Amino acid sequence: MAITAIKPQKENEQARKPLARADTQFNIVARRFRRHRLAMVSLLVLGVILVASILAKQISPFERDYLNVESAAKFLPPLSRSPETGAMHWLGTNQIGQDLFTRLVYAARISLTTAMLATTLSTLVGTILGTLAGYFRGILDSVIQRVIDFFSNLPQLPILLILTAVLVTDPRLIPIPTFVIKFLQAIMLFDQEREARVVAALILILTLLGWTGVARLMRGQVLQVRERDFVEGARALGANSLAIITRHIVPNAFPPVIVAFTLGLAASLTAETGLSFLGVGIQNPVPTWGICWPLPRAICSSGRICH
Amino acid sequence: MVNFLIRRFVAMIVMFLVITFVAYNVLSLAPGGPLQELMQQQQNSANRLDPFALERVMQRYEFDIDLIPRYTRWLVGQPDGPLNLFGQEMFGATQVGCLRKGETIFKYPDGRVVVSDCEVPVYLNDLKGRAVSKGILALDFGTSQGVLRGRPVSEVLNSRIGLTLLLQGISSLLALAIAVPLGIYTAVKQYSKLDYATTTVAFLGSSLPSLFWGLMGLLVFAVLFKQWGLPYFPAGTFVSNTPQTVPLIGVIEPESFADRAWHLILPILILTFVSLSGWIRYIRASVLEVLKQDYVRTARAKGLTERAVILKHAVRNALIPFITLVVTILPGLVAGAIITETIFSLPGVGNLLVAAIYGSDYNVAMAVLLLSVVLTLIAYVLADILYTVADPRIRLR
Repeated sequence: MAITAIKPQKENEQARKPLARADTQFNIVARRFRRHRLAMVSLLVLGVILVASILAKQISPFERDYLNVESAAKFLPPLSRSPETGAMHWLGTNQIGQDLFTRLVYAARISLTTAMLATTLSTLVGTILGTLAGYFRGILDSVIQRVIDFFSNLPQLPILLILTAVLVTDPRLIPIPTFVIKFLQAIMLFDQEREARVVAALILILTLLGWTGVARLMRGQVLQVRERDFVEGARALGANSLAIITRHIVPNAFPPVIVAFTLGLAASLTAETGLSFLGVGIQNPVPTWGICWPLPRAICSSGRICH
Repeated sequence: MVNFLIRRFVAMIVMFLVITFVAYNVLSLAPGGPLQELMQQQQNSANRLDPFALERVMQRYEFDIDLIPRYTRWLVGQPDGPLNLFGQEMFGATQVGCLRKGETIFKYPDGRVVVSDCEVPVYLNDLKGRAVSKGILALDFGTSQGVLRGRPVSEVLNSRIGLTLLLQGISSLLALAIAVPLGIYTAVKQYSKLDYATTTVAFLGSSLPSLFWGLMGLLVFAVLFKQWGLPYFPAGTFVSNTPQTVPLIGVIEPESFADRAWHLILPILILTFVSLSGWIRYIRASVLEVLKQDYVRTARAKGLTERAVILKHAVRNALIPFITLVVTILPGLVAGAIITETIFSLPGVGNLLVAAIYGSDYNVAMAVLLLSVVLTLIAYVLADILYTVADPRIRLR
């Protein structure tokens, strides 16, 4: 009797032990992430880039646009000292004697912020329009669908090239509120308002051409979720459309959009660097990852685009 | 099917009109323009330009005509004068543009006062006898305004398109020829050594843009190889001016076949590598998906050879995503290598587009854009038709 009384208790305790550790969602995700070696390496690399770009002003040995006339056209090798101030050129200098490390760090800050803002905006627009199209259907849906079709049938790079070339160079063509300009100027450490204006225009153009993928994805998801029982339940309980959309549909339809966001981040970054490299996006002397390439003398001298 | 094609065709025409109209308008918003240079000369007192000469140039480039008539003139070559109805000229006095801006005040005898901000208006009658292109629909793209000023755009395009077709054609075919078998093989032999190697390389190739690979290719194969005395590739351009001595290969005569090939190999390889990497991952994923299906297990259970299972049952069903991928080659044939062409300074269409944008040559930019829009539209219709071929369950209505 006594033995049988104790035994189940022990078993119960053992069975309860893993439960007692109270795994939160975050813990589970973090543990799975830590086991993934490639993910950890990527996180480390991203972390270094992120910290460097946040501390751009503090860790860079030179001013962003500082150029030394003496070291111009000399292509100083990495780890050489500046003939003027004696500060270290960690990565050497480019063809007009600018410090490559400084440029690279600032470029990280500018390129990453641009890509992040463009992707966030286009995900936001795509989510809203996709949800509206999927939830209300009808005329609104077919109008949004036509617009999505229109944008996704465009040849991306040529259109992007033409739009950017025209709209970015003349800041009056896209009116941008002053507080947005001030905000961009603050986070990208721009001295001049003009530079922030160009970046803002570029972000808007990338958004204009980038929202359709998310909208299409979100529409499909919402079409599925809106037929589920809990949506019907919410409606039966008297919830209005706004509550159903924000409380029930969007949270349940959102996970694929997160994946689309991460992929969109890469696409925006590629588009921005490509445009800036071609000379129509963000313009020299503002460094971005499309502009700050350390091109060697042999390539620079043969008369091509060389920033 | 016929219904579907007709509807798609109408939709294509609407899209075409909207895109070209928007692009035409956007381009004319651009600051500068072909007149910028002349305007700058105007400010220089030593080289003063006769204002009438400037107006003649404006007329030459149709900058005096309003946007909509200018667009229709570009599109179909109309209006080229007053409307001719039953031998009667009509609407000749309709204003279609403005040659010289400035405020003029008309005071009519009946007391009306009309303020016009145009000093010298352009009327439909004035368009009579003016040179006009036959319109895009007659394949007349107008006259180049910057890249080769005064020459027909079609001539400029003709001189550039061959190189781009060659680059994109060869690299797409090469990429297909490698990606299809390798994609299928790595899916079938998942977790094999070759699979790991391929996936890693493909991951690198598709996660870094062609900008990176192009510049790295230049740096390694053109600059460093030359320094190390290995056989190197030229750092861009299309032909060399003098005989080049390449270690281990010998002397390459300028403008010979070997010279052309020598210049094109590196860009072609880089284009191939970048598209290849994306495609392998894509094909591998779609074949893997199909291999998990029940009908593949059934096919194996029936005792079919592995070859038949994979080629007839798996690959056939993985065709749909593959078609989506292959048709994207078509629009790429015109403006798909903009960045690579710029990196290697190859005189192709992509390079032309960049030059046209820099030089405010709107007719050339519009022609390139138009070609890629048309090819994109055709590619999507083609994909829809091919879907029905690959999967008879898909019906186009």
